[in-house]
Amino acid sequence: MRYAEPETVEEGVSLLAATEQARCLAGGASLVAMMHAGQVAPPMLISLHRIPELSTITEAADGIWLGAMVRHRTVASDVRLRGAMEVVRSAAGQLAHPAIRNMATIGGSVGLADPSTELPVALVAAAARVEIAGPRGRRIVPIEELFVDRFKTSLARGELVTRIFVPQGLSEAVGHHLRFSRVSGDYPTVSISLVLTLEGDTCRQARVAVGSCGPVPLHVDAADQRLVGSRLAEEDVAEAGRILAHAAVPMDDVRGTAEYRRMLIPRLLGRALSLAREHAHG
Amino acid sequence: MADKLPLSLTINGVAHELAVAPERTLLEVLREELRAMGTKRGCDQGSCGACMVLVDGEPVFSCLSLAVKLRGRAITTIEGVEQGRELHPVQRALVQHGAVQCGFCMSGIVLTAKALLDRNPRPTVDEIRHALGSNVCRCSGYAKIVEAIASLSEPPGPALPEGGRS
Repeated sequence: MRYAEPETVEEGVSLLAATEQARCLAGGASLVAMMHAGQVAPPMLISLHRIPELSTITEAADGIWLGAMVRHRTVASDVRLRGAMEVVRSAAGQLAHPAIRNMATIGGSVGLADPSTELPVALVAAAARVEIAGPRGRRIVPIEELFVDRFKTSLARGELVTRIFVPQGLSEAVGHHLRFSRVSGDYPTVSISLVLTLEGDTCRQARVAVGSCGPVPLHVDAADQRLVGSRLAEEDVAEAGRILAHAAVPMDDVRGTAEYRRMLIPRLLGRALSLAREHAHG
Repeated sequence: MADKLPLSLTINGVAHELAVAPERTLLEVLREELRAMGTKRGCDQGSCGACMVLVDGEPVFSCLSLAVKLRGRAITTIEGVEQGRELHPVQRALVQHGAVQCGFCMSGIVLTAKALLDRNPRPTVDEIRHALGSNVCRCSGYAKIVEAIASLSEPPGPALPEGGRS
């Protein structure tokens, strides 16, 4: 296996473009484990840890840019991620366990596109956008366009994720991430990320994403729309939950059957909405 | 076999000049090149915590850390925590509380506890349990481990409620 430590994004892109099947190495928490398990055997690893711009966090007028190499631990402790953006901080602080959060990065999570991890779910709920660098320069895409299947992104050969934009959303919005796992630290059986804006008790805006229930984070406009304008009464939540459960394509695995996961979705949605509502009313 | 790369690693304050293939993990370098056996290989998947070391003072899994990436970082292993011939206070507390059974998880647990106490000298029982979230112990049920670490909290943490790992 060959190995390189580029110092600029451009250098990284040209290395990546030059070697078929080369992989970017971020924190290594998943990729190295997959190498140990014989699931991948990249001919070349391009470690991104010496590219300074990838580790920066920048505030913009309408949100925050998180560099791809920013670790979950750092995201979890950045209090500038508040309001709607808190959904990302909340997920980063809960996923896996401390040593993984010390290693794993937001760009790594996005690039891996593992349907059972949680940052992609939170980023979909946050309506994040991803900056991608490639041989033809940089482009920015909505995060939902990046996830195409299990462990599969729309990144073309030679492209890498440079940073992720988390929009600050509406001024009264709150974000929350809820995970349901067999034991603390395990992958979630189901996770729910949501951004919610209330006016009094009426839902003005909602964006819900569900994790571990399909090849990509599940987001259904009709479910969001079912909540908007409602007072989030039991039947509103149940109906939105039914829409999501119906659209979900979960798998059976050791963490739960597909049927069990479908059953969990409305219940967890209710719990996540209550928590977000408490949060909104401070 | 891939070509080896020259690599200088600082482990417990000592610089080691090595030649390491890029796919080798820190765990492999510690055990197989440096014959330092205190760091244990458990799952090789970042799930059990037996291989834990500190990098710049933070707990990470040596089984998931490629050695070549750690150039210039300060690595602490279990061999580096004794002070002179004295056990580290965490080690002493674990022994005194009868928290050590088979011992396989202990290198990781000692280092996790050390990192926690270095950062936060007064952890609550809850904070201790959260910090230990990356360390699996299959003997103890965790109660005595948490008790031992709580005894080092200044002032000592409150009495432990019933039950083990949260």
